[in-house]
Amino acid sequence: MIDILYNVGHQEAAGALIAIYFYLTGISAGSFIVSTLAYVFGQTKFKPIGRIAVVLATVVLILAPMALLIHVGRPFRAWRLFYNINFTSPISWGSFLLTLYPINCIIYGYFIFKNNAKMTKLFGTIGIPLAVAVHGYCGFILGFAKARHLWNTALMPILFLVSAIVSGVALVIFVVYIKDRFFSQEGKVNEALIFGLAKLMGGFLLLDLFLVLSDVLILLAGSEDAIKAGWLLLTGKFAIPFLGIENGLGKVIPAILVFSTRLRTTNRVVLASFLVMFGILFMRLVVVLAGEFFPLI
Amino acid sequence: MNQIKYGMVIDLRRCIGCHTCEVACKMENRVPLGVWPAWVKEIEKGFYPNVRKSFLPLLCDHCDNPSCVTVCPTKASFKRKDGIVIIDPHTCIGCRYCMMACPYAVRYVHPIQKIVQKCSFCSHRIDAGLKPACVDACATGARVFGNLLDPKAEVAILKNTHAVQTIKPEYGTHPNIYYIGLDKDAVSLTGKEKGKAS
Repeated sequence: MIDILYNVGHQEAAGALIAIYFYLTGISAGSFIVSTLAYVFGQTKFKPIGRIAVVLATVVLILAPMALLIHVGRPFRAWRLFYNINFTSPISWGSFLLTLYPINCIIYGYFIFKNNAKMTKLFGTIGIPLAVAVHGYCGFILGFAKARHLWNTALMPILFLVSAIVSGVALVIFVVYIKDRFFSQEGKVNEALIFGLAKLMGGFLLLDLFLVLSDVLILLAGSEDAIKAGWLLLTGKFAIPFLGIENGLGKVIPAILVFSTRLRTTNRVVLASFLVMFGILFMRLVVVLAGEFFPLI
Repeated sequence: MNQIKYGMVIDLRRCIGCHTCEVACKMENRVPLGVWPAWVKEIEKGFYPNVRKSFLPLLCDHCDNPSCVTVCPTKASFKRKDGIVIIDPHTCIGCRYCMMACPYAVRYVHPIQKIVQKCSFCSHRIDAGLKPACVDACATGARVFGNLLDPKAEVAILKNTHAVQTIKPEYGTHPNIYYIGLDKDAVSLTGKEKGKAS
């Protein structure tokens, strides 16, 4: 029997604001990639959503760093990020990505609205690696925290990227539906387009489920702290947000709604995309908050 | 040899858990309420009558391979030539990434300045030729501070002639605080806080 008589608890380093920041950059990167489907990869059936997707990507990414500025203790020193650069720090990489990516989004969006196909393709092609990097680096931020077993895994960047694409596609489905239904003259929803996007979302949902499964399984086969982190997700305090909301409500049910030909209707696909967005928000919260749940000493 | 790497040996056979180091540190460094750069973890183990208290004095490990320095985006955390890891209070933006990366949880947010702070080995005292406040204050001489690379220094002799252990060596950070008689039960998280149900 061991009783701790006195100890100084650690402070929370990341928090809900960081989770929201990850969520917003993920949505932005995801919807940017959706918009390039038409303009870079030539999938002309996705052309109607290209404009909405790029506007969403830009607006959301301008909002995202605000969460960071509220989180840091001294936001007026943010210029230091561009002056004292540390090349081994993912946040240092991110400060450049978070500047270049929205600028590229704005230029790309400008050429979309000008109907300049050649320049759109050029800046779309530049934007894809930027969008991947701007969200992939978020995974590296967590992955570099070596004492936190939930974060310190090579899966983290790819897990973040896949969930980013899932949530980005979900947001685009949701916004396209709202726009077509309530703000267009015909009031008619382009069903083929929404089902096409839904299939894309469903595929990445399954990939996401597989990645989460392998992450948890390997945690349970790891060191003492890793096993503890794994069981925290499965039976501990984070079981309901992780199993129930993130994976059940946010991934399994939407995947069934999207893939089952009997159940699939436009309204249900829109419901599925709403659930996905909700589930990915919980994924970010669970990853960030459960990661630093246990004290280190 | 005039190379310097400051380190500390804490002889836990001598530690009586009086928390004097903790208080001396707070006084010397004017640490605000609610945060501690150095503290003494205290555990109680066993069943009556075979019981024991174990103490674990904690402070920044001034690692040779510090993960806080790796991840600091503004180079505010840096390692001095003499091995001390300190934070430049004018460069830190308070992003707390170092707190996420540090395996020892010794960093805290300064409640007034809103930047991250930690034990600096009392670098201002070392620069003036003094020892850290916790070492000077230690009532039983359990804390020995000095240059680990100087073979005649007491700290190097203690480290090289005793069975020593660092906290969490598995992370490859190479800490420079060595403990004689480190209790695994004091380091691990298996204990529960007294008065709280599991």
